[in-house]
Amino acid sequence: MLNRPGILKGYLIRAGMLLMVLHSSWINASDQKNLNGLQVHGFLSQGYIKTTDTKNNVFGNSSSDKGSFDFREIGVNASHRPLTNLQFSMQLLSRQTGQASKGGIRIDYGFLDYAVITSETKDLGVRLGRTKNPFGFYNDTRDVPFTRPSILLPQSIYFDRARNLALASDGVQLYGESRNDWGDITAQFGVVFPQVDDKSTEAAILMRNQPGKLTPKLSYIGRIIYERDGGRLRFGVSGAQVNVGYHPGVNDRLSAGSIEFLPLIFSAQYNAEHWSLTSEYALRHIELRNFHVLPNTNFTGESYYFQGIYRFNSAWEAVLRYDVYYADRKDRDGNDFHAETGRPARSRFAKDWTVGLRWSITPSIMLRAEYHRVNGTGWLSTLDNPNPAFTDQHWNLFAVQASYRF
Amino acid sequence: MVVRLTDYLCCLLSLLLLISVLAVANTSQASDSVEVIVHPSVLVRNLSRNSLRAIFGMRLRAWQDGSPIRVFVLPDDAPLHQFFAKEKLNIFPYQLRSAWDRLIFSGTGQAPFLVNSEEEMRARIANTSGAIGYLKRVDIDDSVQILHVK
Repeated sequence: MLNRPGILKGYLIRAGMLLMVLHSSWINASDQKNLNGLQVHGFLSQGYIKTTDTKNNVFGNSSSDKGSFDFREIGVNASHRPLTNLQFSMQLLSRQTGQASKGGIRIDYGFLDYAVITSETKDLGVRLGRTKNPFGFYNDTRDVPFTRPSILLPQSIYFDRARNLALASDGVQLYGESRNDWGDITAQFGVVFPQVDDKSTEAAILMRNQPGKLTPKLSYIGRIIYERDGGRLRFGVSGAQVNVGYHPGVNDRLSAGSIEFLPLIFSAQYNAEHWSLTSEYALRHIELRNFHVLPNTNFTGESYYFQGIYRFNSAWEAVLRYDVYYADRKDRDGNDFHAETGRPARSRFAKDWTVGLRWSITPSIMLRAEYHRVNGTGWLSTLDNPNPAFTDQHWNLFAVQASYRF
Repeated sequence: MVVRLTDYLCCLLSLLLLISVLAVANTSQASDSVEVIVHPSVLVRNLSRNSLRAIFGMRLRAWQDGSPIRVFVLPDDAPLHQFFAKEKLNIFPYQLRSAWDRLIFSGTGQAPFLVNSEEEMRARIANTSGAIGYLKRVDIDDSVQILHVK
């Protein structure tokens, strides 16, 4: 059955994307150089992933002899500032990552930003529309290769499995900023509806694709960041209450249950000239209620990572990270889970050592390579690895990525 | 392996303590060969380092009279850009880049205007109302106004 409005929307978005690209080259060619407040930026990346000594797949059939090139990120954004305190922004994103994202174009964010109060030391404003979720240090720009510390973000916190839920949401966001001699404080608070309209989110929450559909419910999200000495020292606390409902399908064994997520993230970073240290710690409380055949359950996941970056010069940098994920902090080794469900214990944790290199050939072209040694399959996509028994606990991942920005 | 939250926080705290000790021993030498410059119509003559950081961090959008601030910068890898960031803003160029990217790619701000040479920098600052940028002191003439950082 053809979904005509959907196809039309797809064409419109494609045409819009093309126009934006054409427009950007036209702006750059003109002498006036967009002093009128319109800007266009974007990025393009192609990755390659090979998982070795394992059947585990990441972003496509990466365990095959050839590895997987099924990893592409393309984004274009435009922002227009007709007045100093009014800005319109939108970004279109196309992402190809194995079975989870098939490369369709979607609106990553699109909102109106109005600064109600602005002064030399304070800002207070409101954003209406689809905004990026303020989660930790990296979520707001998680699909832009240049803003990430590595090809794959620390998966314990920025896992790609339920990414649309974490990515952006629709509603109202209030923001405030205060700049002082003792440091800058930036706060955001949103009353929003989460995005649940993709199968990977459903598979991540309800273990597999179910006949029914997840439905967004009113949710709350917020973050406070404190930065000292122009960002030399950065601290952040992010929290949310994300509510999701379930609309059962025909002959569904599940009833109209509800899901509640309560993630809490603590973030810290120190930036020196040649090195940066970053660490984040997250607790994720999850409650499933009224799913009839499934018992009411609640558990708390725990994640953290330590990350060091060393800059040899302005072109080369290296990263080293230890990243830990536990699906349930009361059952870190997964043995209880295995005893109850028969599913493998290794699917309830992941400990990932990562080393990587970044080469900025020019400020707008970047090459990266990295190696992961992982113990556990906690953040493996169930769409790329449909049979949990057909996975390995100890595995290696090698990745390279080329990226361009404008 | 059992890692409790308290262990984690202790570990983090001692790490940060170590860093702050290292950071004190790492202060840079004074030099005034780079200056902040503005279009002659900008009436501000003195600015705090915090406000200058807010301007070049693309967070402060308007001058006191409400007119838009237009920020001009050289490419990330230009030596004068790197010198300016360290001397006048007291931050590292990669920090500016990541601050800009966080704004550009989340829609919450805009990028500064890029100029490709110091000659172009002077011309754009001299001809654009509300413009701010930087130049070597020896290259500054009457077409632009120097802004002093308190």
